[in-house]
Amino acid sequence: MLLTAFPMVASLYLAFTDYDLFHDPSWIGLQNFRDLFADSRFWTSARVTAIYVLVGTPIKLAAALAVAMLLNMKHRGQGAYRSIFYAPSLIGASVSIAIVWKAMFIDDGIVDRIAQVFGAPAGGWVGDPSKTMPMFILLATWTFGAPMVIFLAGLKQVPAELYEAAAVDGAGPARKFWRITIPMLSPVLFFNLLLETIGAFQVFGSAFIISGGTGGPADSTLFYTLYLYIKGFAQFDMGYASAMAWVLVIVVGVITTILFKTSNAWVHYSGDNR
Amino acid sequence: MRITRKAAGAVAASATIVLALTACGQGGGTTAEPGSGEELSTDEDITISLAWWGEPDRASMYEEAVDLFESEHPNITVQTQFQDWDAYWTARATEAAGGSLPDVIQMDLSYLRQYGATGQLLDLEGQVGVNLDVEGVDDALLESGAIDGAQYGVPTSTNTLATFYNADLLTKVGVEPLAEGYTWEDYGAWIQEVSKAGADMDPQLYGGADFTGTFWFFLEWLIQQGVEPFAEDGTLNFDEAQLTEWLSMGQELRDSGAIYPIKQTKQLDPLGGFHVNESASEVTWDNFLAGYVAESGEDIQMLPIPSGENGPQQFWKPSMLLSASASTSQPAASAALIDFLINEPEVGKIFGTSKGVPAVQAQRDAMDVEPGSVDEQVVQYEEDVADVVTEAAPVPVEGFGEIEAEFKRLGEELQYGNVTVEEMASQWFTFANDTVVTE
Repeated sequence: MLLTAFPMVASLYLAFTDYDLFHDPSWIGLQNFRDLFADSRFWTSARVTAIYVLVGTPIKLAAALAVAMLLNMKHRGQGAYRSIFYAPSLIGASVSIAIVWKAMFIDDGIVDRIAQVFGAPAGGWVGDPSKTMPMFILLATWTFGAPMVIFLAGLKQVPAELYEAAAVDGAGPARKFWRITIPMLSPVLFFNLLLETIGAFQVFGSAFIISGGTGGPADSTLFYTLYLYIKGFAQFDMGYASAMAWVLVIVVGVITTILFKTSNAWVHYSGDNR
Repeated sequence: MRITRKAAGAVAASATIVLALTACGQGGGTTAEPGSGEELSTDEDITISLAWWGEPDRASMYEEAVDLFESEHPNITVQTQFQDWDAYWTARATEAAGGSLPDVIQMDLSYLRQYGATGQLLDLEGQVGVNLDVEGVDDALLESGAIDGAQYGVPTSTNTLATFYNADLLTKVGVEPLAEGYTWEDYGAWIQEVSKAGADMDPQLYGGADFTGTFWFFLEWLIQQGVEPFAEDGTLNFDEAQLTEWLSMGQELRDSGAIYPIKQTKQLDPLGGFHVNESASEVTWDNFLAGYVAESGEDIQMLPIPSGENGPQQFWKPSMLLSASASTSQPAASAALIDFLINEPEVGKIFGTSKGVPAVQAQRDAMDVEPGSVDEQVVQYEEDVADVVTEAAPVPVEGFGEIEAEFKRLGEELQYGNVTVEEMASQWFTFANDTVVTE
């Protein structure tokens, strides 16, 4: 507790100072925050992160749910399939995968070649600012294991009688999905949404490796945390970085609160009378 | 969210805990008396640490040199570590804030002032003549490692800029190499010519990269016009109009697509188009030759850099300084290690010209300079350009490393077409005015 609390208080203090690691911090009040909101790279990093959260999270959750439903069907060797689909999540956040990922997407890499077969123009994705974000979202989607396992557990809880009753009433698969699976799964869905949203805000390792710590090319992968790191440890503007950290804490806090508030409208807990 | 807090916390923790420590540890500004250091003990067990930036290649050379040092001083153990350039400065900055810099660190001119002026480095003056012999280092060169009379670093070698070209590729496309005495404009026109001739090759051949995006070349260009880039008081001696003029020189190249595409450079990083034989020329420091030859495998030749209004003018850049930490508990052993690395002939043999041409004659003599070898080419180049090296290297301002990095970043944005020349100039000045620490 002390180990968390003390640094937090210290960073709160530093957020109001000009501190470059070499000279003593000097109190500058709200200057860091004023600079922050006038800094175009700050807004770039906020935009990059927002796109990643808003586009990447739903895609990842959809992929996780789709695979979870496939794995929930009865067939032999289920356990093995589950492990196989979970594997990317274990290694996906690692440095080596980011390196392999980069190698796959450069000029004449495997993705470039496959894309050319389908008639796309030649050229890797890594150096092209318009294609780096799709690349990151793919990487995130690929590591769907954790939400998938949680979905799978949720699916197991859905009583089979509901589906049987629906089948008797003549409901098709789509209808069953929207009327039974989704409502019954909503608490799990909410949990995953919360976790993945917060996680997406914090993406750092893969962005750091793929862009070599610069957020490049042309700031197209300048994730918020990466910019925070650059400010603090490359430009030695620790006060500014602390201010950024606190802005992030507040933003994530607000978004979490909003998610909780809206959850009343769409999350159904079993035993609930609504 | 927990991680966010932890990250923010870790930043703050390392910083704050040690604030108190640095506050008392900062004895910056006091100059040591010459020869006031104590003699190195020969029986007491001593452990010191050494850090440098570089590739695994350099690491094996350092390890070899350190082994030699340890066998000569059996009571001293040297713990080593290295990182690449960017990570190196991140790690050192964090350590500096914590007052725990390694005993001996490889230092660059870009950061010397930042560390020296803030009391992080040991004034080696006290060790001179006791454990550190600097007799062999040229006075002007040695002076470049001093700030306000305090010797914060000793340069181990010298670099100067060179224009590299790939002679094999030029023969293939039938373009003559540049003749000495060419200007920056000539270089631009030549890049156009090569790119035109190489347009049909597979892969397409380009004449060169966008040279206007490199801070050091801009400084070189200023110096060639008689402008000293940094004033005595640590302020910038040039204005937005000059930067705009410099950047505009590359506009035609960028517009016509004659330069090696930034998109491809980013993918090859840390290599470049010149390494992979897709670009015919590159301006950079002369110690890069070994790397180019190893990657490209073709005939790489060197020329002095383009001339300015007053003809060809270059400077020696003191390279790979060695500094000791102000917080070291072993100043004598640290000085002895620095002494060994700059003076020992065997060490010169190990490193060759990979760090530049050694500063001390004994090391230069010890190098196995075989005819036709990379080392010979670099040594020969430095001898050839010696008469156009007429200027003193600019003394970097505090914050130099950061404004240099920002220059590079904006230069890339310029090549991607995300900013105009004027926007880059104004954004860079805003950043620089904020960053440069003036006295």
